[in-house]
Amino acid sequence: MSSLLLRILHGFGPPLHRQLFKWPFVLAAGKKDLIDLPVLNEEDLEEQFVRGSGPGGQATNKTSNCVVLKHLPTGIVVKCHQTRSVNSNRKLARDILREKLEVEYKGEESELLRRQRESIQKKQDKRRKVNENIEKKRRFKETLNTGGGDFSIKSQEP
Amino acid sequence: MTSKNMWFLGRFMHRHRGVSQLSSFFSSTSCAAEGAVAPPVDSSVTAEQAVRLWAQHFTLHGISEPLLSSQYIIAHVLGHKTFDGVDRRQLKDPLTDTQRVSVWKLCTKRLTSMPVQYVIEEWDFRDLTLKMKPPVFIPRPETEELVGLVLENLRLIRGESYGTDLRCLELGCGSGAISLSLLHNIPQLRVFALDQSQAAVCLTMENANRLGLQDRLEVQQLDVMGDSDALLSKCGPVHFLVSNPPYLLTQEMQSLQTEIVRFEDHAALDGGLDGLSVIRSILVLASKLLIESGRVYLEVAQCHPPVIRQMIEETMPGLLYLETRCDLTNRPRFCIIQRRA
Repeated sequence: MSSLLLRILHGFGPPLHRQLFKWPFVLAAGKKDLIDLPVLNEEDLEEQFVRGSGPGGQATNKTSNCVVLKHLPTGIVVKCHQTRSVNSNRKLARDILREKLEVEYKGEESELLRRQRESIQKKQDKRRKVNENIEKKRRFKETLNTGGGDFSIKSQEP
Repeated sequence: MTSKNMWFLGRFMHRHRGVSQLSSFFSSTSCAAEGAVAPPVDSSVTAEQAVRLWAQHFTLHGISEPLLSSQYIIAHVLGHKTFDGVDRRQLKDPLTDTQRVSVWKLCTKRLTSMPVQYVIEEWDFRDLTLKMKPPVFIPRPETEELVGLVLENLRLIRGESYGTDLRCLELGCGSGAISLSLLHNIPQLRVFALDQSQAAVCLTMENANRLGLQDRLEVQQLDVMGDSDALLSKCGPVHFLVSNPPYLLTQEMQSLQTEIVRFEDHAALDGGLDGLSVIRSILVLASKLLIESGRVYLEVAQCHPPVIRQMIEETMPGLLYLETRCDLTNRPRFCIIQRRA
């Protein structure tokens, strides 16, 4: 994908990184080479849990554990309901927010964006190779069927 | 059927005119919630449609958190923890026959007000996924904070790696949530866990085995209110005690959600008239079981901290009340107590 096309996609509609990737991206398990993500200040955050008005503790059994985290200085809001644990969702929401802040602060210089584009590029290269292989095999098969060359089977020639 | 239900049904039908299931759906909803009949399924249905259909059906029958329940169950059948984890395209695919049968079976259980955690037989607790089985008590989100508090406090006292050789006793382990979380986070920790319920002991061991934590955990069926000498002889001195003991006041037991009353072990909830009967026993044991300066970490009812502080100051000279901490809803919820040196 040309950088021009990327720029167009980035300019119109929701940002590229929000559409195509699962967040957190870098902080997800298995990704090495951590990049410099902004540190979060808890005072800058406003957190909401859907806990309802019940008594809480043992007296309540509610399954709502979605976390909404707002970064007051930038207005960025992260909503996380990836797990069924409030504690885990809070952590993930902070990881996601740190990554979004990195993109927000660095813009085009964002290391995260660069890695995401790299990831798209790799996937496209892979797909292109797979398609090329399929095409090669298809052509080879055709060669066999049309009886060309020495590969055809001339059965029981007298 | 109430006029509210009728209105709801009317709106539903208006939005989904033409779906063949609806006419039989309509006639089946005149049953009371107790004997509620599931919406029939004779044609193909997408994941998205199933979620909507069941959310509507739960609402009609007064089941709490109707949409969430529906989403969790269907996400689970599709192999995900939450609805957010399901690919948007997969939502528009028809459910396979196996999936549909499973969704209908599980949602029908939810119609009896069975907690979602028991319906899907699992739930998340911090970094772990645990098996859930009625009537063993389902871990609450507040207890995740108790574990966080214990870890933070231990790092403060013993350093970032929790020091060497750490032993703890958990009283009333239930599904094993607290013990297993601590074991997961602290590689050198050894835990002795008790519960007066055999079902809880079995479930804790099952969860320990599933998580590979069984080697550092010993679980026994013992009543903390019962023979304390038996306990003392089995479990040597420990560095700390942790518990989420039954702490509801008997009068609170009257007004609990159907999910809790019908399916969870009341013995895991009822703390007697003042909610402190089990807590009192734990504190009496604490002086005998803890090493000097060892700590007790408790989750309690919000009215308890000042009462516990007073009880310790007036009647338990071997203990020192250190601190009260609030939970995320700002309710006083956790007590930290120390055995005097």
